[in-house]
Amino acid sequence: MGETNEDFYLRYYVGHQGKFGHEFLEFEFRADGRLRYANNSNYKNDVMIRKEAWVSQSVVNELRRIVGESEITREDDNHWPLADVNGRQELEAIVNGEHISFVTTKIGSLLDVQESKDPEGLRVFYYLVQDIKCLVFSLIGLHFRVKPI
Amino acid sequence: MAENDERASGPEGGKAVRRDSAGRRIKGRGNAGGDDSQMQQREGQFESIGTAGAGAAKSVEGWILFITGLDQETQEDDIHDKFCDFGDIKNLHLNLDRRTGFVKGYALVEFEQQAEAQGAITALNGTQVLGSTISVDWAFSRGPARRAAPAGGRRDAERGGGRREDENGDDRRRKY
Repeated sequence: MGETNEDFYLRYYVGHQGKFGHEFLEFEFRADGRLRYANNSNYKNDVMIRKEAWVSQSVVNELRRIVGESEITREDDNHWPLADVNGRQELEAIVNGEHISFVTTKIGSLLDVQESKDPEGLRVFYYLVQDIKCLVFSLIGLHFRVKPI
Repeated sequence: MAENDERASGPEGGKAVRRDSAGRRIKGRGNAGGDDSQMQQREGQFESIGTAGAGAAKSVEGWILFITGLDQETQEDDIHDKFCDFGDIKNLHLNLDRRTGFVKGYALVEFEQQAEAQGAITALNGTQVLGSTISVDWAFSRGPARRAAPAGGRRDAERGGGRREDENGDDRRRKY
């Protein structure tokens, strides 16, 4: 499984400043398998969750595949809505020799995507983010027995 | 927190090309830095379990397998039927592609005992499910051994890969 030595990196952040302070979710994978995860909500009790785990190369390679097949690196955030009071999303990835660092606001639903200036590109982002969040929640949830929200 | 939306591209045209340390052009308005940790929340302690070293890592309640190469029509039963021969399956995640609703291509299976999980790897890695060759591997590894951290600040620790290590291998929870 270790045949892919090409560089890889992925980081996703979503958060906002609100009446409960800085609420966010952020995670990051490195090519060597280090997964870091942070989740903070000041709602009810304000414990910041910070987890670190090392995933196998199989997991890294699957993530590589998911990001690669999404073709997110062909998109550009030029025409995406800017981060605003509703919040901010950041996606940084190094995959297939390309490096993207995209920023936009929070996306509530596909309607926001459709009404944007770049619905095709934002749709790719929208689904990719959901897919990688889904993988991360499974990994963190099973490894640490926590229910991320 | 990085707030550089304004500094970003502006309209088309005079956008300066940014490159990372490997010379790759960085595309997008974000505040990308490179291949070390760019997490905004990198300060503070990240909790982990287990100890560093070679091999698979135990999770809180068992041993997690990562299965890839699954056909998009795979059902939970298909996985369950194959893996239940090796032990009681404690958890099974078969995640879906959010756009298509079909299986994304991977699954996570948890066994309580390492021997059960190892048995499934040995027997099922490289076999077929619904005509698709699957790979069965551990989901987690124990991570590289860490050198003792220099006495400096956290930047050193973050950058150089030198981080405080539990020299004693039996510390179940480590923080750094």
